[in-house]
Amino acid sequence: MRFRTFRFALSLTVVVAFVLATGPLAAQQAPPSWKQGQPKDMESSSLSPIAQPPAPKAPGEIPVDKIKVPSGFKVELWAHGINNARAMTWGDRGTLFVSSRVAGNVYAVIDKGGAREVKTIAKGLNLPNGVAFKDGTLYIAEIHRITKMEGIEGKLDSPPEMKVVYDTLPKDAPHGWKYLAFGPDGKLYFNIGAPCNICVPPDTHANISRVNPDGTGFEYWAHGVRNSVGFDWHPVTKELYFTTHGRDWLGEDVPSDRFDVAAKKGLHFGYPYCHQGDILDPEFGRGRACGEFAAPLLKTGPHVAGNGVEFYTGSMFPSEYKNRAFLAQRGSWNRSQKIGFRVMMVTLRPADVPRYEVFAEGWLQGDQVWGRPVYTRQMKDGSLLIADDYAGAIYRVSYGR
Amino acid sequence: MSLSPALAADLDAGRRKAAACVACHGPDGNSTNPTVPSIAGQVGIYLHWQLLLYRDKRRVDPQMAPIAAALSEADMADLAAFFAAQRPAPPAAAPAAAPDPARADTGRRLAETYHCNDCHGRDFAGREYAPRLRGLSRDYLVAQMRGFKARTRGDLDGAMTQAAQPVADADIEPLADYIGSVK
Repeated sequence: MRFRTFRFALSLTVVVAFVLATGPLAAQQAPPSWKQGQPKDMESSSLSPIAQPPAPKAPGEIPVDKIKVPSGFKVELWAHGINNARAMTWGDRGTLFVSSRVAGNVYAVIDKGGAREVKTIAKGLNLPNGVAFKDGTLYIAEIHRITKMEGIEGKLDSPPEMKVVYDTLPKDAPHGWKYLAFGPDGKLYFNIGAPCNICVPPDTHANISRVNPDGTGFEYWAHGVRNSVGFDWHPVTKELYFTTHGRDWLGEDVPSDRFDVAAKKGLHFGYPYCHQGDILDPEFGRGRACGEFAAPLLKTGPHVAGNGVEFYTGSMFPSEYKNRAFLAQRGSWNRSQKIGFRVMMVTLRPADVPRYEVFAEGWLQGDQVWGRPVYTRQMKDGSLLIADDYAGAIYRVSYGR
Repeated sequence: MSLSPALAADLDAGRRKAAACVACHGPDGNSTNPTVPSIAGQVGIYLHWQLLLYRDKRRVDPQMAPIAAALSEADMADLAAFFAAQRPAPPAAAPAAAPDPARADTGRRLAETYHCNDCHGRDFAGREYAPRLRGLSRDYLVAQMRGFKARTRGDLDGAMTQAAQPVADADIEPLADYIGSVK
């Protein structure tokens, strides 16, 4: 008996030793989020996200003359040397605050009549894509929190501390960076994207949310939104319009990214079950119908990566531009023929489909990308600034005169 | 699209400025100290971003912090371009023991399990958006993976921090043994 126990112990030892030598049988893990959802037959695809340059381009390396705009408009390089320049918002005293994403910085751009001075007012932040300004205070959205700098415009050289407004937010990096803007109701709106390419997200993700500027009253505004990093409110109807990046790896031409209106709270825009309003997801769409969800106002094109949304309210551009939406499209990676890298415009028409046409393009030359337009911001005089996070620059588009 | 990380980088200036770096990183950036990474032939965009992360205290290291704090934008561009252009040397010191084939097989399977090659390339040579891992020492790789898993290793966009979360503690060393042994 003793002998048998010993033999059993010995064989167990051999088995344990074998398992240790060959390693634990770890279950297959999910691929990185950009590759997740890639079907077997696309496994050899060489498509992958475009790497973000670590430094802005020098003015001499920025071919502004390649940017085409409609007749009567002109484009100039307004500011440069702003690494990874993204969203823009105006201070009360005319300072332009500019966010970045992976560069981790927030900038202040001061217009010195003919030249612009750029100051870095915050650095080392966690993908601080969102900036909004109200009553002397700058609000900054990172992945995991919203903070504020009070009285910032008087303290650009020694910025005040960042006070936490709201930090009960998921920490997921994929699609975790936020656009941030004040709605007509005085609340701060921002997105919490899906933490994946395609998955059934937790209830806390894939939405547009809002919170009071004092951090109270958090609530979800829209659901089923995979990754919206741009929105604005219609100047007349005050309804929220937003862009969404569609899922990857479903094909060259599907699904389309979308431009939507969330006129009331609580609508579901389909992710991850239904894409572009009429394609059920091959995996997650089973047993669902696209009719359950809000349909897109406009299909903006596959993989175009629509970011900025801004309704034109100025008076410099011709009168037909009034209340048109400018959509800045950062451009595709998950498509062999590149698409996007342009600013589109949308004219909403009662009882008709919106008109959708190019406003500015030329950052893509053949297959070569030299810049990526990501957000717009109107100037007081009605001209339009366009931020390019790839070249680290801001352009100004003006009309006539 | 330009593949050059440092758009106006000057290789000769980089070589001059690199004189201080090679004291730790080795000749041409080929390190012989297992705790210091080899940076010869590393992806230039990656090197440039790491210098920025050190300067902005997003990646923390007592040796690199003061060095990066003193670098200008041009210095970073020049240094990244210079080291990216250097030829990676085979490891100078022979491994202490012959690699154990069973352990290497375990490491290879773990690399598949955790999708390491999806970003770092089939042969770990790196891509524009992910560093070369070939030629890095096993000790350095272990330290980085532990740091990413603990969310203490600076990360540009959070992608590697996320990728490291499911990696079992017991898998880190066999993975590093394998990646560190890829020729």
